[in-house]
Amino acid sequence: MDGPLPLALIAASLAFTLVVLVYVALDRTPDWGLLGFAGLIELGTLVLLVMAALEVGDADIPGAGAITLFGYLLAGLVLLPIGFLWSLAERSRGATAVLLVAGLAQAFVVVRTLQVWTS
Amino acid sequence: MSSTRTGAGRVLVAVYGVFALAATARSVVQLVTKADEAPLAYALSAVAGLVYIAATLGLAEVGPAPRRLAWAAVGFELVGVLTVGTLTVLDPELFPDQTVWSSYGAGYGWLPLVLPFAGLWWLWHTRPVTR
Repeated sequence: MDGPLPLALIAASLAFTLVVLVYVALDRTPDWGLLGFAGLIELGTLVLLVMAALEVGDADIPGAGAITLFGYLLAGLVLLPIGFLWSLAERSRGATAVLLVAGLAQAFVVVRTLQVWTS
Repeated sequence: MSSTRTGAGRVLVAVYGVFALAATARSVVQLVTKADEAPLAYALSAVAGLVYIAATLGLAEVGPAPRRLAWAAVGFELVGVLTVGTLTVLDPELFPDQTVWSSYGAGYGWLPLVLPFAGLWWLWHTRPVTR
């Protein structure tokens, strides 16, 4: 958890949000490139979850903190898939903008994970 | 009648969905791990979570009377955020721990205050046309 992965994930999620913003501005529907980008973030979040599970025993995190930590990490795993499902069901600018919400929420979740880990 | 779940409504449902997940999960953790510290605040967080779930389902047109559910939930949300927001500004000691509606949702970037207005406007905007 102390490595560069959390910060890289935050940066990637914000970059994803910016890319989606361009898609919304150009009225482009999500494509395989965007899905691949989200897939990489998803993979990184999964690695973060595994790292947290392996390291939580050595870290001095109280029970409630650990529940919160894994709650955020599990939320981080479902946000983008659910966002894509809800977004791809319709072809419209509003539907693409759903991914803005998912990207920002993803970044927020990793920030909160980091805060809980270091507090 | 326009659908509440299409176009801009899709984003609104997504934002409500994130709040439903966040508020509900947070209150469950609080009630399970430290219910005795601030029972009123945590119970209020749970109510807020349920209201966001109801608003999400209503706006996403799930269930038998989704528009009525959405009006009720978003209306309750507006009253809730204004009431709890005013009470916590007047008396910050009232709730020992933060709720999603404390200080008009300042802890969540004021979104809890903006959201019900956006929800009510959207419900009005997509209302059935009477002839």
